[in-house]
Amino acid sequence: MSRVWIAALSGFALWAGSTASAQTLRIGVVGPMAFVQGEHTWHGATLAAEELNRAGGVLVGNQRYRIELVRVDTNEMTSVTDAATAVERAITAQRVDFLIGGFRSEAVLAMTEVAADYKKPFIITGAALDGILAGRVDRNYERFKYLFRVSPTKSSDLARTSLLLLGEVVQAVRRDLRIERPKVAILAERAAWADPLVETASRLIAAPPPQGYGAEVAGTWRPSATATDVTPELTAIQRAGAQVIFTVLSGPVGVPFGRDWGRLKIPAAAVGINVEAQQETWLKATDNLGAYVATLNTLAPAVAISPKTIPFISNFQARFKQFPIYTASGAYGALYILAEALNRAGTTAADAVVRALEATDYTGPAGRIVFDKTHDVTWGPGYTTGLGVQWIGGRMQAFWPRQWRVGNQTVSYAGVQPYQLPPWVVEAWRR
Amino acid sequence: MTSPLRIWSLPWTLRYLRHEVLALPGRTAALLFVLFLLLFPLFSQDPYLLRVLTLTALFALYAASWDLLSGYTGQVSLGHAFFFGLAGYASAILGRELGLPPALTIPLGALLATLAGVLVGLPSLRLRGPYLSLVTLAFPIMATGLIFLFPRFTGGELGLSGLPRLGQSRLEEYYLVVGIFLLSVLFLWKLAGSRVGLFFHAIREDEVAVRMVGVNTVRYKLLAFAVSAFFAGLAGGLHAHYLRVAGPDSLSLFNSIQPVIWSVFGGIATIYGPVAGTFLLFPFLEALRVAEELRMLAFALLILLVMRFLPQGVVRGALERLEEECPRCKVKNAFTRKACRACGVPMHLETREVKP
Amino acid sequence: MLSAILVNGLVLSGIYGMLALGFALTYGVARILNLAHTAFYMAAAYGLFFFLGRMGFAPAALLASLLVLLIALAAYKLLLEPLREHEATVLIVTIALALLLQEVVLLLFGAHFRSVPALLPGFVEVFGVRVAEQALLALLFAGVVLLLAWVFLKGTRLGLGIRAAAQDQEAAELVGISLSRAGNWAVGLGGLLAALAGLAVAPMATLEPHMWNAPLLVVLAAVVLGGLGSLPGALLGAVVLAFAEVMVVNLVPGGAFLRTAVALLILVLVLVFRPEGLFGTAFAEER
Repeated sequence: MSRVWIAALSGFALWAGSTASAQTLRIGVVGPMAFVQGEHTWHGATLAAEELNRAGGVLVGNQRYRIELVRVDTNEMTSVTDAATAVERAITAQRVDFLIGGFRSEAVLAMTEVAADYKKPFIITGAALDGILAGRVDRNYERFKYLFRVSPTKSSDLARTSLLLLGEVVQAVRRDLRIERPKVAILAERAAWADPLVETASRLIAAPPPQGYGAEVAGTWRPSATATDVTPELTAIQRAGAQVIFTVLSGPVGVPFGRDWGRLKIPAAAVGINVEAQQETWLKATDNLGAYVATLNTLAPAVAISPKTIPFISNFQARFKQFPIYTASGAYGALYILAEALNRAGTTAADAVVRALEATDYTGPAGRIVFDKTHDVTWGPGYTTGLGVQWIGGRMQAFWPRQWRVGNQTVSYAGVQPYQLPPWVVEAWRR
Repeated sequence: MTSPLRIWSLPWTLRYLRHEVLALPGRTAALLFVLFLLLFPLFSQDPYLLRVLTLTALFALYAASWDLLSGYTGQVSLGHAFFFGLAGYASAILGRELGLPPALTIPLGALLATLAGVLVGLPSLRLRGPYLSLVTLAFPIMATGLIFLFPRFTGGELGLSGLPRLGQSRLEEYYLVVGIFLLSVLFLWKLAGSRVGLFFHAIREDEVAVRMVGVNTVRYKLLAFAVSAFFAGLAGGLHAHYLRVAGPDSLSLFNSIQPVIWSVFGGIATIYGPVAGTFLLFPFLEALRVAEELRMLAFALLILLVMRFLPQGVVRGALERLEEECPRCKVKNAFTRKACRACGVPMHLETREVKP
Repeated sequence: MLSAILVNGLVLSGIYGMLALGFALTYGVARILNLAHTAFYMAAAYGLFFFLGRMGFAPAALLASLLVLLIALAAYKLLLEPLREHEATVLIVTIALALLLQEVVLLLFGAHFRSVPALLPGFVEVFGVRVAEQALLALLFAGVVLLLAWVFLKGTRLGLGIRAAAQDQEAAELVGISLSRAGNWAVGLGGLLAALAGLAVAPMATLEPHMWNAPLLVVLAAVVLGGLGSLPGALLGAVVLAFAEVMVVNLVPGGAFLRTAVALLILVLVLVFRPEGLFGTAFAEER
């Protein structure tokens, strides 16, 4: 409750004081603030802003600017209309110069249209859809050049990582259960971003090695992203005789999946993307039944992706008592990237800042960030790839990349442990 | 009855204004409201304020269309988003596939919604009361299923984005939407006050009786569905092009319930009630952004409190207190008057204490 | 395949039926379309979650049920009864009530997903299909509650009054039945049933402040399908919907997301041919 009053008071103070000092940069932090994704966007940006301000602010030309964050609650989970209005309000009434954040792709599409109308740079830190940038920045550069993305990697790249994780689990099944041709069931929420992933996965699973996994597709189930019960799907998967479930779940359906999967002890290892399982609250949300679920993630405890990872995690945990999700590291990185670009541009004029942003080469907590020609974050070894994590012993533990060979280089982070099949899966299939 | 001779001239207009509009608080408020909408950009062209007003006008039209069907005819639709969303999608798809401008695709979308209105109306010939409401509720959800079934065509959960703008600037869009809104509401209001509107009223009150006097209630019910769906579709098309996204959100349960809340809050079966309800609630919800966490809580509490004490809606509640009917000639009078402005009888009978 | 459809369908029927019973009762007697019904269910689940942190299951369940009963009765006395003349107003008052509960829960607990531990944690195999024990409990619970409600309504004087009020409000009032009292009982029982559903079903649901949205749709559909106000009808409607959904998932795995849409399509089709629902009485034109 008191937080509300502080927010209201500080909102008033901002409004009253906004005309007084010219040496502040007003940055809108956009997101569904009632939800963990929006909250962590705000936390990550706050952490970066505090650090930058403590270090004296941002030097632009010969002027020092203090960063002032404006909290923009978009309510984007319920209403896209609301989200677009919130952004217009931030730009015109709260006079922000730059925007970072955004979570739900559908809402981000509408919000970025507004930002483009006003030619305000918008760094996306939460939405994964390729088409937010691809097909916009390259085809209509003049209008959409103000859009950038630092996290997560675009959904086609998320697909690449999650398929690598699937490969890891298929290997484990072959090795530990001695099943030559494992059966993989695909459980993917019905969503535009998941469709290409389902196609690629079906092809890759069945293709012979070394290109494919030499396994068998046991079937494809497409529940709704908001389904509250997936027992019938799980029963069917069990009866199809699958040893692995490849999950492509970003919506709330991830939670009932984890809970029913654990309660019914479905003898198939779950791996892939499950956004709900990326959060620290996973075990609480699933009544501890979500143990052994594996998912792609951005950060994991005690895994140093870059020298900045561990300090970021520990500062974040000290300040907010939570483990950061990807929107937090994204917003944190975005603010630093923006500050560096402003510094290089030597002006706050949007077009010059965009040119400076294009030249970004920044190593943040989640890896190295370089923008490609659609202003999207580059995926690959040496850039940003994400991690594979698994819930073991009540905590999140990374299992990928571990001796990941790409061309002639091998990628391995400190603190990464081998993947473990759930014990009931081993018990059911061991002969 | 009481109006001066209808000769279009300045003196006549002034007399009409004085005796028929300014004499009644309700009509004065309506006049001020229209003037406010038309003149607002003279005072402020803040894009955010214009946006809020544009969206409010859009949703007010949506609420008024709901009122025509549900308030007047009593066919309570809990799935009005079906027409709203369908027209938005239709307009987006027509624009994308055939390259037509919004000026064409929005009316076409609204016509499609009209067709859908008749389709949804067909079950209403057999279904009554809550049964009908819950069947209408099912339509937008089935439509959402179809949208997810054909993502290539509809964009799946992302919807279709990058639609052409309604106008070149926020100001142009504002006048366009406000213009359409005012004309449509005028039409709806006139329709509701006409003979047709009378049948609508009667169907709600007692359908059997209406049928007994030889009125084809089926035709009137379908007409109500069609007209209501047309205007809901018009609002939906404008909304899609204003936001530049036609997405599954426009078909959500939330979007079906919204016009019900606005209309009932304002007062159903009035047309102006839903307009007032929307213009009170939508900007109120915007203003509550300063207290983001308490926003919906305050909204819910406001509705509960107001509905508890003004169950017929804000507008009716206010008008009941501001206007009185002359006991003899039934002409409306401002509550301040002692004698009727038309026939001159005292408005309140003097009550004398009768001593036994 | 067949056994999976049978078992899963039956289990889902129990969950849906549990949710639909109270709604049907409230509508049948008090003629209130209580859209806040599943919000009561949410309140019970969160109540259980909150009290479980402080005490054992039985007292926590009791307190949670009492809490919901109190909310339901207060809502009836303060908001719904005075407004019962205005149907549309009652409708949005119940929506506002649900929103209010949602926001209060959001303020108190946040939007994080939570879970309530199951009373029975394991699973059993029925015809080779794994079923959570908790789901069987819900099924059993639904059966018992239906039986008790039936005994209460058919076997007691109070139940007779409630049924009379449900059939013809004016006539009931004429023979001296207090509509206000009958309504009080109906809403209280409805709230209590929502709370019991919360206790039985919550361990299989994910707790979050918007959790009332999805079941509301199911409840409405089940109750309408079965015939508004009819208790066995509500249960039958739940069975039909549950089986429709389970069949979609099993027969068209790639179209599992269509389960709700298909269930609602069935609802619309049934109503076109039987406008009063499966068990509803065809009222002579009600005036």
